[in-house]
Amino acid sequence: MEFFEANKDILLFTGIAGAKILAFLGAVMGFTALMTLAERKVSSLMQDRIGPNRASVFGFSFNGLFHPIADAIKMIMKEDFVPGRAQKLLFTLAPFFALVPVLALFAVIPFGDYVMIYGYQVELQIADLPLGLFFILALSGLAIYGVFLGGWASKSNFALLGAMRGAAQMVSYEVVLGLTLVGLMMIYGTASLQDMVRAQGSLLLGFIPAWGIIYQPFAFILFMTAAIAENKRTPFDLVEGESEIIGYFMEYSSMRFAAFMFAEFIEIVLISMLAATLFFGGWQVPYLYDTGFLFPGGPALPMNHYLVAALQAGAFTAKTVFFCWFLLIVRWTLPRFRFDQLMGLCWKALLPLALLNILITGAVLTILAR
Amino acid sequence: MIINAAIYLFGGLAALATLLMIFQREPVKAAMLMLAALLSTAGLYLALSAQLLAALQIILYAGAIMTLFIVALTATPAAWRDKPSKSRFIKMLGLAAAAVILTELLKVSALLKQTVFSPEFSETGTLDLARALFGQFTFQFELLSLVILASIVGAVTLAAGKRSS
Repeated sequence: MEFFEANKDILLFTGIAGAKILAFLGAVMGFTALMTLAERKVSSLMQDRIGPNRASVFGFSFNGLFHPIADAIKMIMKEDFVPGRAQKLLFTLAPFFALVPVLALFAVIPFGDYVMIYGYQVELQIADLPLGLFFILALSGLAIYGVFLGGWASKSNFALLGAMRGAAQMVSYEVVLGLTLVGLMMIYGTASLQDMVRAQGSLLLGFIPAWGIIYQPFAFILFMTAAIAENKRTPFDLVEGESEIIGYFMEYSSMRFAAFMFAEFIEIVLISMLAATLFFGGWQVPYLYDTGFLFPGGPALPMNHYLVAALQAGAFTAKTVFFCWFLLIVRWTLPRFRFDQLMGLCWKALLPLALLNILITGAVLTILAR
Repeated sequence: MIINAAIYLFGGLAALATLLMIFQREPVKAAMLMLAALLSTAGLYLALSAQLLAALQIILYAGAIMTLFIVALTATPAAWRDKPSKSRFIKMLGLAAAAVILTELLKVSALLKQTVFSPEFSETGTLDLARALFGQFTFQFELLSLVILASIVGAVTLAAGKRSS
């Protein structure tokens, strides 16, 4: 008992952090599993098909809702094959490199403001790092090892080709991804995501929410483009190029392949959350404050604290779902780039535009400060 | 107490990974061990609450430079050989280089013991670092970017020269 009293603060901190990690990552994982189904359903909708609808439990199929579970069982049951010439250790390590950095990134995403539980103020973010944006850039840079090691350790020419393409593509677009975020950092004067979302709660001219998209519409387009390229999805899926080289995970099977595939879907969720957090106000609902709605011009609607917190978390979820849907739509809307087009787009178009965006933002900020 | 434990943990990990890297024959595995050493150094910075330094360490060294290393390494024949070569010349060269680096390290560590930092000096403050870079050393900082630009132009010229012929 004395031990608990003496270490009350640290025990409480660990307990709350653990609960937050379990709840948030659990929600993300569940949502990602549904994303694998959504991808197939959206694809079939866009191609005028019905899509997967056969997996059923006791005759109930719910239009295919059980497919993620069926997929998971299938993946686990498959043979875990390692090619004879493969580098065993690196071959095993690669899926971890693909999955772990992406999962760690959810630590800095704020999914709400705060809730009061028994008098304790619980921040709805796993870790509020003062340099959250740098943390995101740092860890997303590590995901490249999963791609490259996976391709190289397989000792297969197709896999290596995919890995080489992946390395070139991810290194290039990472630069753009970092530069698009600089403008936001300049405007909000912080690199902490929670502070950035709080800053987006203020109003411009008394009625426009000060979201990132209002200040940096251009950076948003660049960010989304670079983010889809980082995620290696169509139109940037040269790494896989399903009709040509299959990709860096060609020799992988069973759960090892599932790790690569799951990482890609988690990245979709992550990109959606980042887009919502950085450019669309995160958990902010326009005109909703701690005490309830306060519309410009006077009318107010007081609200319970828990209702406000739930509305904010709900708004964040809705924004995330919207961008997930957007990313799924993009896949069947745009055709794949050629490799020289891919590199040209990055270095000749996106990079100069991102730098120009920083220059203009800086100039405007300097003029406004005068 | 936790911070001290973290410092020793990451420091030990960095030392262990570096040691293993030296004795690793396969180039790509050695590079991966170096990555582990770089990441644990980043953890060390984090434990010392130098967050910016930790982030930059991962972005620049682990994310950019090591990626380049590994991609370049896989293009070498040594990476594809099952049994790496054990040339005597390479061994002697390695030993000589190790001797030079060791003496330099010893010299530097002897210097470090004597150096006394002024109390207001902080390597961890991001704001102080930014103020120094963009205030006191603006000219030198901008000059450095010019050097990098020159090297980029040089590299492009070298790479494109072959194609036109």
